[in-house]
Amino acid sequence: MEQNNKKFNINIVFIIAAIVVFILLPNFVSGYYIRIFTAIFMYATIAQCINLMSGYMGYLPFGHVMFFGIGAYITAILMGRGLPFILAMPLAALSAIVVSIILGFPVLRLRGHYFAIATIGMNGAIMSVAQNATEITGGAMGTTYPIILLPPGQVYNYFYLAFFGLMVITALIMYFIVNSKFGYGIRSIKANEEAANSMGINTTYTKVSAWAISALFTSIAGGLYGYWMSFISPDEVFDLMFVTNSIIMMLIGGAGTILGPIAGAFIIESVSEFAWSGFMEYHLAVLGIATIMIVFFVPGGVIGTITNRIKNRRIALNKKAEVTNG
Amino acid sequence: MSLQMLINAILLGGLYALMGIGFSLQWGISGIINLSYGAMVVLGSYLSLIIFNMFNIDPFISMFFSGFLLFLLGAFVYKFALQPSIKGGIVFTLIVTFAIRLIVENIILLVWSADYRTIRISYAGSNFQFLGTFVPLTKFLTFLLAGALIYLTYQFMMNTKIGKGIQAVALDKEGALAVGVDDQKMYLINFALGTALAGVTGSLWASIYSFSPHVMDVIIGKVFIIAILGGLGNIWGAAAGGILLGFAETSGATFLGSQWQEAIGLVIMVLILLFRPHGLIGKKFFG
Repeated sequence: MEQNNKKFNINIVFIIAAIVVFILLPNFVSGYYIRIFTAIFMYATIAQCINLMSGYMGYLPFGHVMFFGIGAYITAILMGRGLPFILAMPLAALSAIVVSIILGFPVLRLRGHYFAIATIGMNGAIMSVAQNATEITGGAMGTTYPIILLPPGQVYNYFYLAFFGLMVITALIMYFIVNSKFGYGIRSIKANEEAANSMGINTTYTKVSAWAISALFTSIAGGLYGYWMSFISPDEVFDLMFVTNSIIMMLIGGAGTILGPIAGAFIIESVSEFAWSGFMEYHLAVLGIATIMIVFFVPGGVIGTITNRIKNRRIALNKKAEVTNG
Repeated sequence: MSLQMLINAILLGGLYALMGIGFSLQWGISGIINLSYGAMVVLGSYLSLIIFNMFNIDPFISMFFSGFLLFLLGAFVYKFALQPSIKGGIVFTLIVTFAIRLIVENIILLVWSADYRTIRISYAGSNFQFLGTFVPLTKFLTFLLAGALIYLTYQFMMNTKIGKGIQAVALDKEGALAVGVDDQKMYLINFALGTALAGVTGSLWASIYSFSPHVMDVIIGKVFIIAILGGLGNIWGAAAGGILLGFAETSGATFLGSQWQEAIGLVIMVLILLFRPHGLIGKKFFG
């Protein structure tokens, strides 16, 4: 027990040290790395949301990017009407939550393949609305955000810190959620939904709440992304690539762990950046082959594999100790 | 709805039906949502383009060649990429097929670039009149060939030993194993057959429409809708789903404007999923 406590403290010290390093990092590295890290934090946030749905609850939301797009578009529209970002962003997040609840009740009755496909369909339909409601959204041409009147380097540092904060807050909240009673409800749905229901867990309420929570953080990431890019188009912010990338990150880091999506985002963005800079013409193929390799050789994810190995080693050590003591 | 519109819808639906069947078989029987299906269709189009440029042979003949090559490619992909990952469940197969799509897309971009390509057959502009409506010859040929291929696929599934083996595996895997059916072999043949149908569809698509890597996304959106409409793994269901999608798109384009065409299909799909998850026809598998 004491040993556990000590280990927990060491983990906390390590995490706080990492947070401090990342906050101070913009002072020491060039803008290129700042951009890459910002993208990593954004993907880690989305992967964390998908992890809650898929890794913990067993529902794969393949069209989850719809909340990213909703967040980006509603922020853009409200800012176009003169609202400041600090007001437009929460309103966009609120509308993403409302949409997730309205869609969640019917669509979360579906399971497995059917749920994944239905979310893809909804994403396509919402994207069509963004493309065709030209008076409000600017149509397929896209829409712009108001320009920030600060030197670009400083602006990018702000977005770096904003995305970093979002990632840390998302991870913390997910940590508290999955270790709460509500979180055990979520996990029991993955294990066996009927059994969970018969044990008195309101599965509909649990599923819809989990979806609303992941929609909340995804839409905040979307709004920040739009403001960061200062221009968005429907093809871009409703692109399934965001979700497939995030799912790959979750798998590689380890589904059903809190650190997994973050580790996965670091690994995949580095591979992707390497593919872009080293093999400009082949980057898609390199990314594809790397993905297949990773799925084959670390199917449990990096974090999962490491914790398993530590656990096995501890079991082996305990056995040894028992033998020598006995 | 005028007669001309009706005929347009049916001609379009025939091609959609053929396109949907391969995807539906792969999903319903092999249990793989093949996100690389669109890439396979477009690859079929490009194979026809090569043959047309080199030997001046019609897509209507070279479709057998693309079907054969894509059968081999499908078998290879299943054996070395999908069979090892299938036990990881839906997440793994989705990611692996998406990765295959990226690889195929990259190859196409390298060889042919992202430009739109067309195959100009000598009789592409000709048409004939039927009950006062114009029927383009290439679309009519495509419809006939699609119908014939759907019928052949059905006969293969019902009347050959391998086809019956595939059905047995689809209905009851353990039961099929108990009577000596090699399940992995059946899944492989079924998946490769689906990919072959994708290649053939690609060739037929190339005889009518222009194509580019961008078409992959359009096609994958459509085959999802067709497979869901018809019920998974159901040949006649997918055929009906294809015709239905043809009708929905043609009438949607007329009454609401062509920009809503894709949204209409997707909304229909979500509604079907919610209210009739086994498809409009209502039965899973054949029979």
